[in-house]
Amino acid sequence: MITALLSDGYIWSIIRVSLYVSLTAIALSAVLSLPIALIVGVTEFRGKRLLNAVITTGMGFPSVVVGLLVLFAVSNQGPLGPLNLVFTPEAMILSQIVLAAPVITGISLSAIDSVDGGIRDAAYAMGGTRLDVAVVTIKEAKYGIATGILAGFGRAISEVGSVLIVGGNIVSDGSSYTRTLTTAIQLEARQGQFETALVLGAVLLVLVLSVNAIVIRLGSGGGRSR
Amino acid sequence: MALRVENVARRFGETTVFEAVSVTIERGEILALIGPSGAGKSTLLRTLGLFERPEAGTVRVDQTDIWAATERERLTKRRSVGMVFQEPNLFGTTVRRNVEYGLRVRRSWRTRFRDLVPVIGNRTPPQPVVDALSLVGMEDAIETPVESLSGGEAQRVAFARAMAYDPTYLLFDEPTSDLDPRNTAVIEDAVITATRGEIGAVVATHDMHQAQRIADRVALLLDGEVVEIGPTEQLFSSPQDPRTQKFIDGELVY
Repeated sequence: MITALLSDGYIWSIIRVSLYVSLTAIALSAVLSLPIALIVGVTEFRGKRLLNAVITTGMGFPSVVVGLLVLFAVSNQGPLGPLNLVFTPEAMILSQIVLAAPVITGISLSAIDSVDGGIRDAAYAMGGTRLDVAVVTIKEAKYGIATGILAGFGRAISEVGSVLIVGGNIVSDGSSYTRTLTTAIQLEARQGQFETALVLGAVLLVLVLSVNAIVIRLGSGGGRSR
Repeated sequence: MALRVENVARRFGETTVFEAVSVTIERGEILALIGPSGAGKSTLLRTLGLFERPEAGTVRVDQTDIWAATERERLTKRRSVGMVFQEPNLFGTTVRRNVEYGLRVRRSWRTRFRDLVPVIGNRTPPQPVVDALSLVGMEDAIETPVESLSGGEAQRVAFARAMAYDPTYLLFDEPTSDLDPRNTAVIEDAVITATRGEIGAVVATHDMHQAQRIADRVALLLDGEVVEIGPTEQLFSSPQDPRTQKFIDGELVY
């Protein structure tokens, strides 16, 4: 039964779409989040605490609300309307970026914040430029940053609300276009296709568990990073 | 050729650390900066180390007015000034990567990326790295991860790290206050050896015996003011300012 399901192109296409959407979203989120975390982490300014609070709130933002907002943004009347992104994998990437970026920013930020100012002073004293000092800071915070990225991935791949709204859960010719593991499970379970739902659930669970195992390993490695 | 601050002022918000301090460090000499905690020793060192721009006054490295110079000139001049802190502040990697750091940031990004690739990069430790570690007897620990070093060893590596890129001026902020006598002696000897060449050194310390052991000149900083500056022997045996006498007496009893 399970082998039959796994040899089916349908399941693999869902896994492919899920990974494509979430990995792309995480890569883009990281590129977006790390400079913000670095700048906020190493500078002192008015309103830093407020910004921290905003980022932390973003970490727990309800995914259906994000989906709704992204749907408005990409709809015909929205600011991104001309790009024709409604019900595409790219719209799902967009909404997962909104969901994952605060997680990556928040966790990286606290890791960068906890890098001793003396480390940055040392890099500067040895002739490092501002860029060199930033690189040193990132290296010292690398376990925390990796944890943030993996946690962001966990949030992205397992959320269902926003991808359902902006992606539409579409399958064409027996192959997934915007159907992800989570939206597929939801649909299959509702249609009584419990075997399929279970296999998809197992795949998702294995993905999330492996990511968490890596996070935990990095977490214990972070203890002896200095 | 000298490292010099002229009438510099440093303020943090409402607090004024000092109003108009002037100090000159010549190459080849050790200047001890003594004074009680909170006198502004660290702030003065950070000003000399070009960490922050003073609110007033000029900082000169070999005649160049640093904060009036271009960004490029400033970087070049800044790279002739090194600093060792009270804490080792080592990066979480190997001894070698730490000591190489100063050399690495002076290379082009292209070379730096090449060195990351094991096959084409240069893997033998550069001679200055080995030499700097030998100065503090740490050359055998070159591939050791820093977390397995003792506090004294870590501070010796921090010293080697500041020597490896051949600075002209070296600043020390209480470099031995956390160390046992043996490691203190290693650091003091290394400072003396280093300055025997061309290096001008400033050692901020609250240990007057240390100042007497290693310094050519001593400056006493009290409440953000250089009360007295002069040759070590003279300052301790016949201080010109009554406050110096009081400080020495108080400390010697203590």
